[in-house]
Amino acid sequence: MAAPPLAGIRVADFTWVWAGPYCTLQLGYMGAEVIRVETRTRLCVTRHMTPMADGKAGPNRSGYFNQYNQNKKSVSINLHCAEGIAVARRLALASDVVTNNFAAGVMDRLGLGYQELRKSKPDIIMITMSGFGETGPLREYVAYGPAQVPLSGLSALTGYKGGPPLHVGFSYGDPNGGVHGAFAVLAALYHRARTGEGQYIDLSQWETSVGMVAEGILEYQMTGQEPERMGNRDHWMAPHGVFRCKDMAEKVAGRSIDMWVSIAVTDDERWRAMAAAIGRPELGSDPRFATLAARKRNEDELEAIVTNWTSQRFARQAEEILQKAGVAAAIVSTNKDLFEDPHLNGRGFFVELEHPEVGVRKHTGPPWKMSRTPSGVHHPAPLLGQDTDEVMMRVLGYTAEEVAKLREAGALT
Amino acid sequence: MSGPFANLRVVEVGELASAPYASKLLADLGADVIKVERPGVGDRARRRGPYPKNQPHPEKSGLFLYLNANKRGITLDIFQPQGMQLLERLTADADVLIHNLPPPEMDRAGLSYDRLRANNPRLVMTSITPYGLSGPYRDRAAEELTLWSQGGLTYLNGAGPDTREIPPLKAFGQQAGYQGGVHGAVATAGALMAQLRDNEGQHLDVSVYEVCASQLELTYVYWPYGQRVASRLGAKPVQPLEALECKDGLIFLCCVEDHQWNAFVELMGHPAWTDEELFRGRGRRTANWDAGRLFVQEWLNEQTVQDLYHKAQARRIPFAPVSTMGDLLNSEHLNARGFFVEIRHPEAGACKYPGPLFQMSRTPWELRRPAPTLGQHNREIFVDKLKLSDSEMAQLKDKGVI
Repeated sequence: MAAPPLAGIRVADFTWVWAGPYCTLQLGYMGAEVIRVETRTRLCVTRHMTPMADGKAGPNRSGYFNQYNQNKKSVSINLHCAEGIAVARRLALASDVVTNNFAAGVMDRLGLGYQELRKSKPDIIMITMSGFGETGPLREYVAYGPAQVPLSGLSALTGYKGGPPLHVGFSYGDPNGGVHGAFAVLAALYHRARTGEGQYIDLSQWETSVGMVAEGILEYQMTGQEPERMGNRDHWMAPHGVFRCKDMAEKVAGRSIDMWVSIAVTDDERWRAMAAAIGRPELGSDPRFATLAARKRNEDELEAIVTNWTSQRFARQAEEILQKAGVAAAIVSTNKDLFEDPHLNGRGFFVELEHPEVGVRKHTGPPWKMSRTPSGVHHPAPLLGQDTDEVMMRVLGYTAEEVAKLREAGALT
Repeated sequence: MSGPFANLRVVEVGELASAPYASKLLADLGADVIKVERPGVGDRARRRGPYPKNQPHPEKSGLFLYLNANKRGITLDIFQPQGMQLLERLTADADVLIHNLPPPEMDRAGLSYDRLRANNPRLVMTSITPYGLSGPYRDRAAEELTLWSQGGLTYLNGAGPDTREIPPLKAFGQQAGYQGGVHGAVATAGALMAQLRDNEGQHLDVSVYEVCASQLELTYVYWPYGQRVASRLGAKPVQPLEALECKDGLIFLCCVEDHQWNAFVELMGHPAWTDEELFRGRGRRTANWDAGRLFVQEWLNEQTVQDLYHKAQARRIPFAPVSTMGDLLNSEHLNARGFFVEIRHPEAGACKYPGPLFQMSRTPWELRRPAPTLGQHNREIFVDKLKLSDSEMAQLKDKGVI
């Protein structure tokens, strides 16, 4: 049986919150040994965040932490003292990759910067995923997930027609920065495997986010105008929107009344199929709607017709009828819909492992499958500091006495 | 210096964003990517804008030009048996095939990993499809909007607490596509590490639906950990956490932690209202933010965005402007880092594009060529590389294979 793609690769993971842990989660899915460096006196904020299992607070009970730290190990080191920093340095030098998402300069101040580490280990790979990058006039600025979305330009492009810029509903810059960071680390590992050379990666979460609005940047230059916000509409498809459903009026037991169906009609042929499917075949050739240009001209009227049809059907019925006609349609899922979804459950997307404090909770796993090499989740998220002794002795070669002494001195917590 | 993937040969059969973005990430780090497009019409991205002066033209789509710089392009109809055979020949010495044909189209073309593997056991084949290659939704139709929605992200965005009649709102652009692409690129790069070690390929099954559902932050876990539906409706967990108007534009206020709020109070000159019982402590401040917002707004009416942004950041308060496209292109910071790269395209002219999304010290991002025109490299690939004769070329053209 083949080994996982990153078998034998060790990551000293100084990241926290979401962006960095999302990066190392990807590496862990592929078999890297990811060792999270935590400090008991300054816990990762996600260990404090709700929801907590069964509503009981505790650093090992947070759903957020337990989702994005699957497969990882946790060592608890006090980075506020010299002995603790010395342990962290030894861990970094025993690793192939060092990751962090501190603001620019923090690792340097700890004596754990790239220039310092490479003196002892020339082929080390290090990535910093900061908000603004390591250079440039704003390099010291602080970035928080929710504020990254408006900063990136995504808010200016997202919103209802005639309305103000809006958010996208989650801290998109974090997972987006993290997953691009994982790709960069893999590229560096590939380069190292072929040449023996390590390197440093400077990732700015702002820049990875701006990459995601490239069409807006180009539209501005190509037309001389800021792009217009247009709700769920699309210049090249109609109907294209999110429509209310009968669920809203019916208040079906146990189901949020807030239920919608999304529909995207790609071309005239699909429009004719949709018109037939909603029992209005004549609309397929109606001059008001027969072509994309006509549907765009009469889009308010078109959407009223669609809404009239969807609001008399439950979202899942509408989805099924339109899918049968070959039209892209899907419910607007809640977290509960995803949790219960037969497709996701049938494909084995979810991971159900026993966690010592919170038991079996259904977490999401990698969004891909590899046919030959093992991958995925083999271990739930770590309890705080659960692997300190094992890593100290097996990985770093400390003796049990040395570990006890460091613990007494407060370097291990 | 050359990119980490300079040794790689990649074939892409991609439309719109997902597969093209995955292979762009490889191409930008040196890989030789051959993009396969349908004869006559090409990639769907060519038929979406933005276009110069809003005049549609298949060689001038901003989306296409961004996603396909650094690649070579050929036309090939893989739905004809001869086309599929040529794809087999192309992938016989390739390291990677990345495609986003949905499963029913794969079946129709006869595209399968087993078939391509027969000529090349080293091949990594990355299939980026709406729902993956198995499961009850395998053959469903899907688009950007429906995947972002079914994946749980649209539900989180849009109307506020008093406006539940307004539909939830998709994020701008091709976000599901981009995320399908970058997650697919991560899996591909992992498989390349294994290929280097074992000299064997494999098949990667990437589901964009699952990619979307992977990014729900704490909103997914609200169900398994709290049996709660996480919704865009209702109050925010903490305030201020929203965009408000200054004299000259919008600024996003963000005080998640107490020290940030305290610093903001000082920045405002410690007005008396902030000491009122109503606003003391995060819980009360958040609960009474409808009132707090009025006070803050009055103060913001006298501020300018850039001035407040820099003053706040000097106090470690993570405010941010609501950037327009013009703001980004003119940003001193982004330009100092060399983020934007000018690309000259023979048909579309020169524009500034987002360049390196991360900077690698030893193997930097590089621009080698603009996006290909439709079929630009047919001769280079079919004649020079695959050694087709002129008469074979003519025959394939007649049949519409090329």
